[in-house]
Amino acid sequence: MAGFIAHLDADAFYVSAERVRHADLANKPVGVLGNNGACVIAKSYEMKAKGVKTGTPIWDAAKMCPEGVYVKRDFYWYEVLSRKMLGIVGTFSPKLEYYSIDEFFFHAEPLRHGQQLATTATTIRDHILEATGLPVTIGIARTRTLAKLFSDTGKPFGAVAVLTRDHERELLAKMPVTEISGIGGKRADRLAPYGIRTCLDLADADGRLVKRLLTKTGHEIWMELNGEPVMPIRPERPPHQVLGRGGSLMGNVEDPKVLWAWCVRHVERLIEELRYHNVRTTTLAVEVGWKDQGWTGGTSNSPTPTDRIDELLDLARASLRRAYVTGRTATHMQVKATELRRGKGFQLSLFDKPDPKKDKLATVKAAINEKYGRFKVRTATTLYLPAVYRDPANEYDICDVRGKVCF
Amino acid sequence: MRAIALPTSELPDEVVKELHARVYTRGDQKEVRFDWRAVPALLPVWWNGRLQIVRWGNRDRAERKLPPTGWTWKATVEKGRWVGIEPEPVEIPANYVLANGVWFRVREGLRGLMVRTPSGVPAVFVVCEPATRYYRVMTRAEWMPVLIKEII
Repeated sequence: MAGFIAHLDADAFYVSAERVRHADLANKPVGVLGNNGACVIAKSYEMKAKGVKTGTPIWDAAKMCPEGVYVKRDFYWYEVLSRKMLGIVGTFSPKLEYYSIDEFFFHAEPLRHGQQLATTATTIRDHILEATGLPVTIGIARTRTLAKLFSDTGKPFGAVAVLTRDHERELLAKMPVTEISGIGGKRADRLAPYGIRTCLDLADADGRLVKRLLTKTGHEIWMELNGEPVMPIRPERPPHQVLGRGGSLMGNVEDPKVLWAWCVRHVERLIEELRYHNVRTTTLAVEVGWKDQGWTGGTSNSPTPTDRIDELLDLARASLRRAYVTGRTATHMQVKATELRRGKGFQLSLFDKPDPKKDKLATVKAAINEKYGRFKVRTATTLYLPAVYRDPANEYDICDVRGKVCF
Repeated sequence: MRAIALPTSELPDEVVKELHARVYTRGDQKEVRFDWRAVPALLPVWWNGRLQIVRWGNRDRAERKLPPTGWTWKATVEKGRWVGIEPEPVEIPANYVLANGVWFRVREGLRGLMVRTPSGVPAVFVVCEPATRYYRVMTRAEWMPVLIKEII
């Protein structure tokens, strides 16, 4: 029975997490709203039945489901429950991947000799519900691609073990190829002329054709669909190639001072990440999303890797100048450290002077914020964003949940 | 905001019985809705250590000395404009609040200001403040109730 992979997916996770602390929300149509309060980012099955989808604007959702109850997102709380689930699954399987806040992959083994894997999945699922109050669905199959596909078929609160090729083929024949994570509309369009529309069509296609159409990644998916595991479970997240912070500017931004304040905020958040991962950067890219006018970007380089605010703000200022377009309205921004170096043991340039005073200042700032809360000490430029800092919910975002493989 | 709702399980049985016309079912749970448009407009408050149902504001202008609304600005309260009629801060328990067609979950409830009319009838006004950006986007309202131990 060795060699099977399980995929655990929490059912309507953010909604379920809210129901853990607010039991009155059970069996009601519930929508969790995103960072701006404008869109539904998670909905209960009761709300889904009324036609509300992830991404539906609140004003549309309220019309489609007038009895729906909306909740402001709380990623602190969702992470608490996510890690509690992770700890529980870890007691059942030592080989465990924290794929995302509500999805894990793990090596599936019978909990006792002779136990059917479907029973194992049911036992783990029931234990998680009892210990955390969270309903989850578990799919077990020969590869992670298959396990993820089959867990979707079992939702909600399912426990599915698909262990034979015949059973796999029966289910794959019913699934459009776009159900596969990594095959979106464009890739599906490339497959369609060859009559490849279902997951089974893809599995039965010639591997060389698939490689030609979908490159190496698509070929790996093809192998996994045919039961050959090529995507291993990753108990540790692979080191980041790029670290970034950013997102919506919570409205339209036209004032360059406010745009710069957002940039500084993202740089401060990025520095936290650099320090956490013990890396520095030589390159800082700033990308700005403009209202109905796409994105522009700018990049600046430093001769020496750094994680210090004064140096990174110098880079950010130059990058933002390059990205900035006079007269446009900004709506989004991303700040990215794209060339990461280990935090210690790097080579200074001939002209670099160590600056222990500024290093100490950065250390003190980090220590105060560690002890008294994020952003308690922050750059004065960010005073242009009072509404952002007034709301504690803005202190923590989904990207701040560390260690997950996927966003 | 136009209404609040509390599950019937959080109200004394006799109160639920008295307010049976305001009982609705959402999901599989019954709740009492306290709507500004209902006649008379009522709200639950924690007052003198117990949950009581009192008049919400002064919509019918029954009291000439009270404003003909159900809300008051936090700033007005802080400036002492209500001092003359000896107001008391109270808590208005609520699970759900309705504003511009959007029901949203609150943790504990809202802040209120309790006064006694010259004829001795208690009335409560919901204390409000300018909406946060999040609340404004969520409800398209420019002002919001002051929530207990919570920012939306």
